[in-house]
Amino acid sequence: MKNVAIIGIGNILLGDDGVGPYAVRTLEASYEFGPTVQVLDVGTPALDFIDNLIGLDALILVDSVENDRPAGTITLYRKQDILRHGVSVRMDPHSPALAESLLAADMLGIGPKEVLLIGITGDCYDAGCNLSSEVRESVHLAIDCVRAELRRLDVPYFASKQHTKPDIWWAAAVPVN
Amino acid sequence: MTKRITIDPITRIEGHLRIDVEVDDGAVANSWASCTMWRGIERILQGRDPREAWLFTQRFCGVCTTVHAMASVRAVEDSLKLEVPANAQYIRNLILINHGLHDHIVHFYQLSALDWVDVLQIPKADPAKTASLAESISPWTGNSKEQMKFAQDKVKGVAASGQLGIFANGYWGHPAMRLSPDVNLLAFSHYLQALDYQRKALQVVGMLGGKTPHIQNLTVGGVANAINLDSQAAMNMNRLEAMKVLMDEVVNFVHQVYFVDCCAIAAMYTDWFNYGSGVKNYLAVPDLPLDSKATMFDLPGGFILDGNLRDVHKFSSASDAPFRDGVTEDVAHAYYEGKTNLHPWKGETIPDFTDWQADKKYTWVKAPRFQGHPMQVGPLSQVLIGYAQGDALTRKWTDAALATISSVSGKQVTVDMLQSTMGRHAARAIRAAMLADLAQKHWQLLVDNIAKGDTTVHNPPSFPSGEVLGVGTHEAPRGTLSHWVVVDNGKIKNYQAVVPSTWNASPRDNAGNHGPYEASLLRNPIADPERPLEVLRTVHSFDPCMACACHTFDPSGRQIAKVKVL
Repeated sequence: MKNVAIIGIGNILLGDDGVGPYAVRTLEASYEFGPTVQVLDVGTPALDFIDNLIGLDALILVDSVENDRPAGTITLYRKQDILRHGVSVRMDPHSPALAESLLAADMLGIGPKEVLLIGITGDCYDAGCNLSSEVRESVHLAIDCVRAELRRLDVPYFASKQHTKPDIWWAAAVPVN
Repeated sequence: MTKRITIDPITRIEGHLRIDVEVDDGAVANSWASCTMWRGIERILQGRDPREAWLFTQRFCGVCTTVHAMASVRAVEDSLKLEVPANAQYIRNLILINHGLHDHIVHFYQLSALDWVDVLQIPKADPAKTASLAESISPWTGNSKEQMKFAQDKVKGVAASGQLGIFANGYWGHPAMRLSPDVNLLAFSHYLQALDYQRKALQVVGMLGGKTPHIQNLTVGGVANAINLDSQAAMNMNRLEAMKVLMDEVVNFVHQVYFVDCCAIAAMYTDWFNYGSGVKNYLAVPDLPLDSKATMFDLPGGFILDGNLRDVHKFSSASDAPFRDGVTEDVAHAYYEGKTNLHPWKGETIPDFTDWQADKKYTWVKAPRFQGHPMQVGPLSQVLIGYAQGDALTRKWTDAALATISSVSGKQVTVDMLQSTMGRHAARAIRAAMLADLAQKHWQLLVDNIAKGDTTVHNPPSFPSGEVLGVGTHEAPRGTLSHWVVVDNGKIKNYQAVVPSTWNASPRDNAGNHGPYEASLLRNPIADPERPLEVLRTVHSFDPCMACACHTFDPSGRQIAKVKVL
């Protein structure tokens, strides 16, 4: 079985930057995976992101991106896109950590061969715990991309039998006095 | 002829610090530290349940997660005068210690060593000679010729690929690089090994905290770890022993590798004990409480003004009145509206953006002041304050470091000389060596306390009607962290985090006093304005992490130095 990590990256306190954690938690509530698949919300990692890469055959990232496309657009990036210097795509604060972690893992020979970054173009990154509506509405498309990548990798997954609510604890409304 | 150099961004990890320096006659004549993104995250907390605040605050930053969780629960506990059971103190302390060890290891090797180590000299090294040099200075078992060869081959592989990959943003071959090829190789082989040991330290955090990077086991009033020596599902002796095995490996790495390497590199660059002192006012809060009332601590706190180590003031508690009453934030040169010198409980965060203006507003970082003074925070402050108070553990490792650096370099290096760029690195290694000792001590304290039959981990909070104020502090890897909370009828009314990088990256205040980064750069030599390695050395010695101070989503991660003639 292939070792796969499906990782949501982003800051849940900064609006659309939180779409990665939001998407993987939604995925986790709807699907079941085998023991070699991990689903993780890692927030905004730095170089310790290398720790998540050890022993992986494939890495699937879900993250917000800044590019010139309309909010909610999904763009797929492969490893060479993430590592290419001078790319016009802007990939938010943990991007240096992501690229450096991938490069360090490569140097050590421990990194994943397959990398897919599912980028969702954000709209608003102001402090706040909610996604903009365009971004929220494209979360299911991002999840479809994760599923397509798993099928391409020949990694099985199943729809959950019991429907659980995604654990998006930060998006709960602020209690009113 | 004056040249203005702008370095933007400077951190190799998330965050976006911009440094501007004016260089005249080969040295820095003036400097500005600024942050390019608004900080306003605390406003999210207004109206929320104070018992949940820590879940949000540990998302402030992806590097310093646990520290913000800890400061938050401590702030709410302080507002309620709620005691924390001894087991919970030890479990929290072990999390903080191991997080600190992880952070210091990563800072030295991954984030700053390459300011001093020239990777491109490594192919010229002789792995056999490097191994025998290493074995002459440390009992570490990871110094074999094979391990040196392995590290050398990694560099050769990257160099042969025609692209520098992970090393693309260094100033290789710079005239200020001074280590021999063998010493460069030795340091780099430990750079690779450090990746394993920082991970082991985080694994300990995960074993105690449920998972990393976001721990799950905190609660206002204690921790949520179930302790039951007879249960497989709870914290039992097997788990504690497994944790000890990992911790001992990290302790050995810190004592036999990190501490030794840092002293050796410091000895090769003793001139850097002459630069970078800057603000010589030092602040640290006491940490690692030893009792449920938090009256005794393993790490001392206090303050020193004007670099006078003979006149140290001691804080008797983590929210001692001089600290609690002494902190204000000034916004004269920061992009905020409002009055200067507000206490954090009365703090405002109203943005007022202007362009970068050298003599007006130029940063999103506020200027925290203690009793009106800019203060340096971080391992150097921790070590100087402990040393000046005669703290035995601080003295043990500081004296060991000074003796090693002096004997390797043949120059007398004193505790006063630690007030410098290299002193900040040495102090971080000293602090890490202390934390390594304390990891073992606090593990034993926890085990002994459980063996006495105490399994209490939590005292439940209850919120009074009306308003209560709290401050939660933690002496984090980058220095003094304080969270300030105002709770009104059980709901958060105001919340301010005054983070270490805010102290150190602070701009000038209303009186024109530079912040620590700025002051430390003055008079630094600059050999080549196009490649301002020396600026990076001094700024990196603080371990900047701007994500807490200000979040950002600027991506490039490339170091860009722009030079213009004024």
